[in-house]
Amino acid sequence: MPKKNTHPKKSHKQSFRKNHNSSSYLKKSSFFLITAIAAFICTSIFTAQPTQATCANSKSCKSDLSEKIENNTPGTFAGKTVYPPKIEPQSPQTDLAVLGISTASGEKHIFVDLSKQTLTAYQGTSQILKTFVATGKWNKTPTGNFHIWEKLVATRMAGGEGADAYDLPNVPYVMYFYSDFGLHGAYWHDNFGHTMSHGCVNMRQVDAKTLYEWAEVGTEVSICDQITDTNQCIQNNPVQK
Amino acid sequence: MTKTHQIEIESVILFIISAGIGAVFALYLGHKPPTPNKISLPVMQTQANPTAIPTPTLTPPVPKPQTTSQLSPDGTKLLTMAVTTNKDLANTYTFTTTNADNTNQQTVYTATNSAESMSIPFNTWSPDDRYIFLTKNTSAGPEALVVRADGQPLTDTEQNVNAHTLFLAKNTANTYQETTGWASDTLLIMNTTSQDSTKGPSYWLEIPSKAIIQLSTEF
Repeated sequence: MPKKNTHPKKSHKQSFRKNHNSSSYLKKSSFFLITAIAAFICTSIFTAQPTQATCANSKSCKSDLSEKIENNTPGTFAGKTVYPPKIEPQSPQTDLAVLGISTASGEKHIFVDLSKQTLTAYQGTSQILKTFVATGKWNKTPTGNFHIWEKLVATRMAGGEGADAYDLPNVPYVMYFYSDFGLHGAYWHDNFGHTMSHGCVNMRQVDAKTLYEWAEVGTEVSICDQITDTNQCIQNNPVQK
Repeated sequence: MTKTHQIEIESVILFIISAGIGAVFALYLGHKPPTPNKISLPVMQTQANPTAIPTPTLTPPVPKPQTTSQLSPDGTKLLTMAVTTNKDLANTYTFTTTNADNTNQQTVYTATNSAESMSIPFNTWSPDDRYIFLTKNTSAGPEALVVRADGQPLTDTEQNVNAHTLFLAKNTANTYQETTGWASDTLLIMNTTSQDSTKGPSYWLEIPSKAIIQLSTEF
């Protein structure tokens, strides 16, 4: 019997092994790539910085942010009943000339310093108002550069849970600058210069009224983590709009 | 070791290496320090001081009391502190409340001190304008004195109460530090330091019951 040539068979085996090896490498590479991507995604999710709250008043921000004047309705704050100030539907305008405001010119800009708990309002280079405020204690006041998008002479704000639950009618002189985060008067506490809000910027009613009558929809609001001695507004983790 | 075992070990090692690389890459990207925004505030206008014209003094000047005042948060009331320096160099502090239009003046507290000064804090008025707290600056630190805004006694037996004294009587392990303001119409917020000198819990002083309540949150 002629000797059978085994070479083609051998070559077939080698080719099979070669194919098998390259397939194995391909499988291993795919496995490596998929695992690495999965690990990347999982780590990114678990180590992601907590995003800033998008809502200051957990209940009222889900209903509506419209004007509501409720002069004879008591509210609740810190487990106590609070009585709102009487708000006139058409608030009389303060004589801005008396305050020396009407003579100022230029762009209007409001700066809030979270570290010192102060608010400063400028028109051009003239300082219109500087006062203590109370910013976010239960939710952080978002840092960044915003514009007043809505002005309401009064509205209802509600939120919080358990002992921290609050429901406040007639919150006066509201100027929303980001979602339902706003500058407004606070009649239920007098602890300005210290954090005391759910993310809004609380002011004395008398200061809020002055600011409300001066500011316009579109006035720029910069919330700064700190304002340095050289008048630099530092925003470490500003909201990306 | 069988071939199957070898493949399993290789797979596990490959899995660990690739997972590690993925995680390290994610951590590297995630922990890049964010670049803070910096915005310049407007440069304030400064007004040149007009040159003062000296005027001759014809009569010996009568010392005028120095006054400072603080408007209530709703803008309807005014608390004024007048300080007069006496011949013995002690200061007499007189606190009066009025309506914003200067009507209905009431004297709410008067004291003469040589070693201690007094001042009006920013958050002096309770939100309902019923109470006032004043700061007495002693060598041991600031103390808060609570009075009624209409000049009436705070309780049947007391004209005023000292938040620091009430806190000491409570005998907590924490040290009274300061009174910051009003949490509500009748609740005064007091901050403390703990024994290891770190920030201690905050307390409420309820007026007029004088109850001191420890809080779970720090103000």
